[in-house]
Amino acid sequence: MLLINNLSFFRNDNLIFENVNVSLSNGQVIQIRGKNGSGKTTFLKVILNILISKTGEIFWEGQNIKKNIFKFYNQVTYIADHNTSSRKLSVLDNIKFWKELSSSNLSDDDSLLLLETFNLKKYLNVETMYLSSGEIKKLELLRLVLEQKKLWILDEPYNHLDDLSTEILNQTFVDHINNDGIILFASHYNPVISKLEILEFN
Amino acid sequence: MILIKKIFLFFKRESKLFYRNIVDLFSNILFFFLSIFIFVFALGTDEQLLKSIGLGIIWSLLLLSSTLSLRRFYEEDFNNGVLIIIHMRGISYELIVFLKILSHFLFVQMPFLISIPVASLLFNLPIYEVYNLMITFIIGSLILSCLSSMSASMNLLNKANFSIGGIIVLLFSIPIIIFSVGINEIESDYKSLINILIGIALIFLGISPWASASFLKLAIRNK
Repeated sequence: MLLINNLSFFRNDNLIFENVNVSLSNGQVIQIRGKNGSGKTTFLKVILNILISKTGEIFWEGQNIKKNIFKFYNQVTYIADHNTSSRKLSVLDNIKFWKELSSSNLSDDDSLLLLETFNLKKYLNVETMYLSSGEIKKLELLRLVLEQKKLWILDEPYNHLDDLSTEILNQTFVDHINNDGIILFASHYNPVISKLEILEFN
Repeated sequence: MILIKKIFLFFKRESKLFYRNIVDLFSNILFFFLSIFIFVFALGTDEQLLKSIGLGIIWSLLLLSSTLSLRRFYEEDFNNGVLIIIHMRGISYELIVFLKILSHFLFVQMPFLISIPVASLLFNLPIYEVYNLMITFIIGSLILSCLSSMSASMNLLNKANFSIGGIIVLLFSIPIIIFSVGINEIESDYKSLINILIGIALIFLGISPWASASFLKLAIRNK
């Protein structure tokens, strides 16, 4: 489980957020809501130790993440609000790279099936730069299933998605929490997920 | 074992990206040859003159053409966040930089090795000078890759002044030029100069992963 204790973050002496306490146990899903510029993305980046906070501590399974950061990273999938797929590589190349990089056990057939669910199989050998923004976002979200990690941290996962894909994503979230996974995401879209909890950012 | 697998995976991705961007390499080599032609036409047909200054010109143009691809060193991987994702999968930024330097050396600098003998032909350079040029280029280009890495990582957040990166590389490459061109002037004991070049290369190979990685971390934190 993830425990966030008294976390505050300053950027150039400007307070972004102060004294945030969150605890996430297995099977929990939390949505972070807030206005534009309220520090949602910054909060996610601080949790991932991409940005470093001066006060507050983060614990993953009882251990401070700063003491063993790679052990924490090994359990996290992070989907940023921009596309991390390489524009010049094909869909297949990108997927293969993510899968092998995270030492995933998913078989090739399963990953093809995944592509078919999101209607991306026809672009298998097409360079990512020729896909639409919704399709790139879907490719990005495939990493959730490809990497098979316990904690999912997502920044604006619903951007650019059509109704059908939104539904598939919601269902994926439900499946993950039913498998004792943990999800933390920031979004302006309010999805219908039964166990969803809200964290407000001002 | 897993780390070695990931390193191979990194190189596989780099080689694929290189293959997709092969036009860039051709345009760099074309730039190199066109500049040589311009020099030859500008200097006229004095064979002795071309022979005596040919080596210096080839080296300066190699330097200039390698600064052309400077901005692409980290830019795409940094902007789309791939660096962070690769780091999250257990590869430290220092190792990422080191692998990037090696892949830049292999995929961007080494193809120039083929163009050097052809360029030397245009200046009618004697065969031992071509041989020396190629040896010094192999060592010198490794230093250049290290310099490019440092300069590119320094300028990731610099969106306005594009030429400063090239200036940094050119400034620090002066010693490479001095020792590389100097080899042909000292005919008896040129091995000592090659040793000095190897020494510089090792120093840079030692420093640049740490320097570049701290620049990368700084840029990622301030993005």
